[in-house]
Amino acid sequence: MIATIVHTDELLQTIAAASVAGIGVTFLFSLGIWGVGHFAELSRSERPVAATAAATVAALAFAAVTAAVVTGIVVMTHN
Amino acid sequence: MDSDVILILVIGTALAFDFTNGFHDTANVVATSISTGAARPQVAIGAAALLNFVGAFISISVAATVAKDVVDAEVITPTIVFAGLIGAIAWNLITWWFGLPSSSSHALIGGVVGSAVAAVGFDAVIAEGVVGKVLIPAVVAPVLAFLVAGIAIGVSYRVVGKHRPGIVSRGYRYGQIVSGGLLALAHGTNDAQKTMGIITLALIANGTLGADADPPFWVIASAATAIALGTYSGGWRIIKTTGTRIIKMDAAQGFSAQGAGAAVILASTHYGFPLSTTHVINGGIMGSGAAKRLSAVRWGVAGNIFMAWVLTLPAAAAIGALTYGFTRIFGTGALGPVLVTLMALSLVLAAFVRRAERGSPVEAAGG
Repeated sequence: MIATIVHTDELLQTIAAASVAGIGVTFLFSLGIWGVGHFAELSRSERPVAATAAATVAALAFAAVTAAVVTGIVVMTHN
Repeated sequence: MDSDVILILVIGTALAFDFTNGFHDTANVVATSISTGAARPQVAIGAAALLNFVGAFISISVAATVAKDVVDAEVITPTIVFAGLIGAIAWNLITWWFGLPSSSSHALIGGVVGSAVAAVGFDAVIAEGVVGKVLIPAVVAPVLAFLVAGIAIGVSYRVVGKHRPGIVSRGYRYGQIVSGGLLALAHGTNDAQKTMGIITLALIANGTLGADADPPFWVIASAATAIALGTYSGGWRIIKTTGTRIIKMDAAQGFSAQGAGAAVILASTHYGFPLSTTHVINGGIMGSGAAKRLSAVRWGVAGNIFMAWVLTLPAAAAIGALTYGFTRIFGTGALGPVLVTLMALSLVLAAFVRRAERGSPVEAAGG
């Protein structure tokens, strides 16, 4: 009865989705900034391999952020 | 004929409510981006208005909750919906006048519940919907935004902590273009849907739509337009009014707060929970501030949110009930609602003139 009134499943899914999206996207975006920062520093230090690796991390992180945002909007529109 | 007049009054009042919702909430949506320098005020406000408009089209779950899960549409009349709207608007004006906290969303639900109880009794209220879809999410959502933003900013400081501030700040400012946009989109989708739900409820009550009908396209488009115009108008007031709700924070905090707010509102909207978007946005801002240092949090705002939780629903319900009782003095026709509309317009006009004469800035109320 209480579970029916509280909509426990929907509430828990909301909490899970908001937590994963809010924290996950911030983590991925921060990782992207970390990659860009390292790329700049390593390029100045003339370490091309490490700089490329940092740039790859940044590109993947920003791509993941974009994918997460697009997925979120697509899920919303297909409700 | 009478019912058509009342229906037109309900639609006009609901769209006016939607406009004021956007007008009030612009500050909450754009303040963080402007504060950190992520966007110029003109750009932030224009984008927020546009994304509020777009957001209104991406979901109808919240509209369905407001139309079908709060009160029993089978026993509701357009006059009950009208009285509920007047209850919400009156409470918003009273709180605006006295500088008290308010939530437009809670006022709307409270007003309709109050007028329905006055007209039909407690049988008209769907307790499961009010408790499960309105009251509990109203408490959970701001706390969730607080925690998500707090953890997110902790994670971001840990990841980028050793980098030069220039790169980090610039990066998060670019990020805020996306997070701020998502927040405006989320605000538009949750708040505009409440108006769609109320108009749909009135159309069902009037017999224009079937009991299980979704909002027609013209309802969605008009609600989207009203909230977008309100957002745009409210934004220009912010530019002209110094000392409004601009909160000092760094770009990473702004990104975390906006991201947490958008995530909570969008996830809640997906499941049809009508939230106070202002409470959620403030929850995110406080969470990102608290993670840095507790004294950075505006605990007074937290107290105001608590007061809004306690006061708004019963107060708007009481005014909605009184308004319904007043309209019944003049019978079941359109005379009562027409008189109430004229009185409400006179009071609103008088209030704005008095405020303008005093020269006080308009305080933002919550959405």
